[in-house]
Amino acid sequence: MSKLKVAILGTGNIGTDLLIKVLRSPVLECVLFAGRNLASPGMTKASLLGVTVSAKGLQGIVDRGAEIALVFDATSAEDHHKHAPVFARLGIKAVDLTPAKVGRMCVPAVNLAECLDLPNVNMITCGGQASIPLAYAIARANPSVEYIETISSIASRSAGPATRINLDEYLQTTENGLQLFAACERTKAILNLNPAQPCVHMQTTVMAKVPHPDLQATRAKVADMVARIRHYVPGYQLLLEPIVESGRLVTMVRVDGLGDYLPKYAGNLDIINCAAIAYAEAFARRAP
Amino acid sequence: MPTAHPHITVCDATLRDGSHAYSHQITLEQVRAYATASEAAGFAFVEVGHGNGLGASSLQVGESLVPEREMLRAAAGCLRRSKLSVHVIPGFATIKREIVNALEDGVALFRIGCHCTEADITQRHISYVRSVGRETWGVLMMSHMASKEVLLEESRKMQSYGAQGIVLMDSAGAYLPQDVSAKIGLLAEKLEVPVGFHAHNNLGLSIANSLAALEAGARIVDGTAKGFGAGAGNAPLELLAAVLQRQGYPTGIELYPALDAAELAAKLFAGSLPDSTGITIVSGLAGVFSAFSKPVQRAAKQLGVDPRDVFFELGRRKVVGGQEDLIIEVADELARRASSQPPARPRP
Amino acid sequence: MNRALALVQSDAEAVLAGRTASLAALRGQHLFISGGTGFLGTWLLELVKVLNERHDFGLRVTVFSRNARAFASRWPHLGSVKWAAFLEGDIRYFSDLPRDVRYIIHAAALTDRRLFASQPGAVAETNSVGTLRLLRAANLLEDLQKFVLLSSGLVYGAQPWEQPQIDENFAGPLRCNEVNAVYAESKRFAEVVAQCAISESKLPVVTLRPFAFVGPYQSLQLPWAVTDFIRDSLNGGPIRIMGDGATVRSIMYASDYAFWVLAALAGGRARETYNVGSPEPIDLRARAGLITQYFSPVPEIRTRVGQVGHDRNRLVPSVAKAATELGLQVTVPLPEAIQRTITWHRHQQSS
Repeated sequence: MSKLKVAILGTGNIGTDLLIKVLRSPVLECVLFAGRNLASPGMTKASLLGVTVSAKGLQGIVDRGAEIALVFDATSAEDHHKHAPVFARLGIKAVDLTPAKVGRMCVPAVNLAECLDLPNVNMITCGGQASIPLAYAIARANPSVEYIETISSIASRSAGPATRINLDEYLQTTENGLQLFAACERTKAILNLNPAQPCVHMQTTVMAKVPHPDLQATRAKVADMVARIRHYVPGYQLLLEPIVESGRLVTMVRVDGLGDYLPKYAGNLDIINCAAIAYAEAFARRAP
Repeated sequence: MPTAHPHITVCDATLRDGSHAYSHQITLEQVRAYATASEAAGFAFVEVGHGNGLGASSLQVGESLVPEREMLRAAAGCLRRSKLSVHVIPGFATIKREIVNALEDGVALFRIGCHCTEADITQRHISYVRSVGRETWGVLMMSHMASKEVLLEESRKMQSYGAQGIVLMDSAGAYLPQDVSAKIGLLAEKLEVPVGFHAHNNLGLSIANSLAALEAGARIVDGTAKGFGAGAGNAPLELLAAVLQRQGYPTGIELYPALDAAELAAKLFAGSLPDSTGITIVSGLAGVFSAFSKPVQRAAKQLGVDPRDVFFELGRRKVVGGQEDLIIEVADELARRASSQPPARPRP
Repeated sequence: MNRALALVQSDAEAVLAGRTASLAALRGQHLFISGGTGFLGTWLLELVKVLNERHDFGLRVTVFSRNARAFASRWPHLGSVKWAAFLEGDIRYFSDLPRDVRYIIHAAALTDRRLFASQPGAVAETNSVGTLRLLRAANLLEDLQKFVLLSSGLVYGAQPWEQPQIDENFAGPLRCNEVNAVYAESKRFAEVVAQCAISESKLPVVTLRPFAFVGPYQSLQLPWAVTDFIRDSLNGGPIRIMGDGATVRSIMYASDYAFWVLAALAGGRARETYNVGSPEPIDLRARAGLITQYFSPVPEIRTRVGQVGHDRNRLVPSVAKAATELGLQVTVPLPEAIQRTITWHRHQQSS
């Protein structure tokens, strides 16, 4: 079986980590690693790994549009808004790792199948990839969830300048994702940056207000969901199985990164990349 | 001969920090009654809202009884000389969802805070408030966790974003007076904007530390009536008013009304005024956010572990404000350890 | 064993004797040294060799350099040890560090004065971009404990003739509108780049400002006074001094230099800057005399061979900060340092 030809646009830490994951994939082949800075560490790494690189950014993708089936966009929301119509015109499927929200929000453990035919899918946020499946599981076990809240704590060092300046957008996008997937009107997202050394690994807590929580069903659904996520995020682990404490339904996970290019503590960055790869691999396996 | 002291801005955080001590159940009647008394006493700013600031009402850190906009409007209606202020932590609060509303509700001063090493997350929020012409300060929380050099660097970031004052919070009540002198002293020497200190009383040093801050050059101090606030509480305003008067610092505070405001707070919040206990002392020693006090006690009780052990473990993990969810995990882990193994050795 | 190597080994053992406790933090760690095959890098490896073989430190070292392979075969006693790995590359294009590195010494830089004249652009690029790249890679480590940046005593600019020593807070005049400034300015920029990493990412960087050194492994082809004098003396002299020989420097022996760097790596306070060097001033004429005394016949020292009005200048650090905070001292007096350096070169020539 021939591999699906993919390109990565954006050669920062996220794009470079994605590259390592693509190179390991049995069904994906990176035909182009494109960005603007030929001297970036990511470009250097890609060149050393023998991957074709381009410093022409979007034009690099356009030039080789005919052979690219799918592109991971790891640039910025602002740039993705410009890129998306070009990808659409070229018939290249876009997996958007920015918070641009051009395409449908995709959490592979929840709605992979219904996203496979879409031309553009959005990977929401790191906190969203960790928390939404849990919120979804809680909503499945408890029909009347009144309110859902998620708290993520990440290592300061795993939050780059773009994340730091865009905290408000992160919170908004994560809340929108929770609303959509848990079918719950009232949601809240909270993000903490922790500067402790050694760096803390990402932890995400989901809390819910449920009138009469079915703890047994919740535990079963959450356990099932965690198992599904672990298929594509091996470092995703249940830290606290659902309990009721002070009238709150609470569950907590920890996400260890794979340590491909990004450090292991950056589970927040790893999980969104793992989700993007899971989506692309599913598409590759299904593609004729 | 005493030298002429500079004017000191005294901020009344009773209706904000006290929210922690009251499990965020402060009523509109209490807001109105206390804000009126604070106004009469002449405190420069009256801070109102959830203990963790705008947008913080949540399962994580506790839900407020009253929606924050109602609290802010109620307070604003009682203030003339004194100005309304709020605490804002990016990560909880956003510009569109909370700050815009608070501007409308009459907030005069936005105190934008973050963990003491993360000043760059306040850039957008500080800049925004400045851009609409309202006053804004930067607040570095849990400031016992960073060296004075780091605090200076982070303060300078906030100053460059447009902060018109910088407040160091001793959120864990972990400072000794010499720490205050060193840190506030450096900031007061190097920053252009006025510097302030927000004390907690876990080690019984809130007034001593506030005074050390002023002597090291601070121009702003925070306090709360009767110390009403998280953990072992804050610097009691009635004592601050008295000590500042004795030291000859001009503040604009009128002593008798300040003492009356404290008496009123004692009535309004009877049963919830802070007390020094083994738990608050351990919390200060461990350097854990004072507002963890109540949730730690709840979780420790439910999971059958010693809350003091929970505090020391949280301190060891260097948790920061906002990580209240880890309390349950730590208590759960300690409970598991206790059940499968002989009781853990007491920690220092 | 080769006598030159034995001399170095005994120097490394001597400088570490009774002082390994201050390096205890490095036990069992993975250390990355950029520019690890230069003068300092080689000495660092010599000290680590003693730490591992005599003191059971279990320290692993990854050496990154442009000529790592050539170095490893030239000095097999360092190049073939199990605890060291050699990576070859150009620091300007550095991409990533081994994951378990917890200590870094950034010594990679172009330091040859001849290059400052012939390829100043390359000096500017390597010394600045190299630092930027390594710091960026360090930011991706799980648990970085310390990053030691080797800057230079030249970042201070001109030391006033009447000021005996300069401490870490000194700032002298420095002109950036002339090409001669390229080295000092590249190091100053490297320091600022490190300050950016400290501010943005809280990286635990310690900055060292080394002054002047002498010792085995130092190339005699570098146009520095001490190496020039030794080379000229080995060739039978004479030693030629352009001015009156009153120019003042201070010189530290290589084993002390390497030990100070390791001590700063283990115990230096992050965000701080320390001078590294000898605090003992010595003028050019006296240095020449210290060298020629070890030769027979004694080579002639000629002064004022250049134009009249040749600058007198002084560059001598105060090392009080390193002494008080890190307990560091000079253990090898200059006459002994020079004698051992000459002996080493003689052994090298005869082997």
